[in-house]
Amino acid sequence: MEEKILKIINNVRENNQLAPLLKLDESDDLRNDIGLNSFDLAELTVCIEDEFDIDIFENGLVNTVGEIYKKLAE
Amino acid sequence: MNILLTGASRGVGLEICKVLLEKGNTVYAISRSHTSELAELEITYKGKLFFKSIDLANTEGVYQTVFKEFVTNSIPLHGFVNNAAHAYDDIITNLNLSKLEEMYRTNVFSPLILVKYAIRNMIFNKTKGSIVHISSISAHTGYKGLAMYASSKGALEAFSKNTAREWGALGIRSNVVVPGFMETAMSATLSEDQKNRIYNRTSMKEATDVLSVAKTVAFLLSGDASSITGQNVHVDNGTI
Ligand SMILES: NC(=O)c1ccc[n+]([C@@H]2O[C@H](COP(=O)([O-])OP(=O)(O)OC[C@H]3O[C@@H](n4cnc5c(N)ncnc54)[C@H](OP(=O)(O)O)[C@@H]3O)[C@@H](O)[C@H]2O)c1
Repeated sequence: MEEKILKIINNVRENNQLAPLLKLDESDDLRNDIGLNSFDLAELTVCIEDEFDIDIFENGLVNTVGEIYKKLAE
Repeated sequence: MNILLTGASRGVGLEICKVLLEKGNTVYAISRSHTSELAELEITYKGKLFFKSIDLANTEGVYQTVFKEFVTNSIPLHGFVNNAAHAYDDIITNLNLSKLEEMYRTNVFSPLILVKYAIRNMIFNKTKGSIVHISSISAHTGYKGLAMYASSKGALEAFSKNTAREWGALGIRSNVVVPGFMETAMSATLSEDQKNRIYNRTSMKEATDVLSVAKTVAFLLSGDASSITGQNVHVDNGTI
């Protein structure tokens, strides 16, 4: 699951000409550390939902990579 | 282009469906009933028209029935036409809450949910999609008995303008077509006298042509309208 998230995040980063990340830390902030804006976050949600059938933003905000993992583990 | 269209069984929706198919689009059509006119189109345009019976008054079910079972992410959506609507007509002092809520579910809440997931589909597939809502002249010119109905159309117009602003950066457009009174099932309960009075308020003194409305919708969906967003286009015989 974590590998798939890394792949999805790198795909989204690519839109903004950001180099791919080699790994993610649970504490990484999606906006400040990973560099995603609100459109990128929308794309991230849509791609995660397509892959895992879970809408991570459905009930409140998700700020960090660790919070995504938690939502998907629920 | 792949277009999701609601209220395709008759009236304006059926006409929009025909015009879109004639132009070579693939149409994913929704309404509660499946009419013989739709069945004929399915034969003429085999593989280009898909129908699913869905009751838009059931807002909770819309995500599952439309986007999980019908238009999934594997179908890149290029357009969404919010045409289905129910006219709850009565004077304000008779307003009944459950009737009002039912109308709002069909005319406003479900369409907003449909826009949510249509945009998500467009983001996923990276399509610069076009959204068209069908409003009504009653949101701009007052008519006795149409206050509740008109208020649902006003909500759509405001939503469309803000959709345009919010998603324009991704190339996603949102516009509204504002028809005048047309000869469809929706206006069938009006008497000749009432109709004539309504038509006399227009510059052209007659019913709005359903085909003209449908062709305007098709234009707004097309690349020819690529710089048009956040607009209300009146197709109302000049109700000014
Ligand atoms: N007629 C006019 O004078 C006039 C004027 C201005 C604007 N408009 C607008 O034009 C649009 C089309 O209206 P029309 O004149 O073509 O009306 P219509 O003949 O009554 O058609 C309405 C369409 O919406 C569908 N629909 C209604 N409730 C639904 C529900 N709960 N779930 C799914 N589908 C539903 C109907 O299909 P089913 O019954 O099979 O579900 C039908 O296909 C509407 O947005 C209307 O507000 C009409």
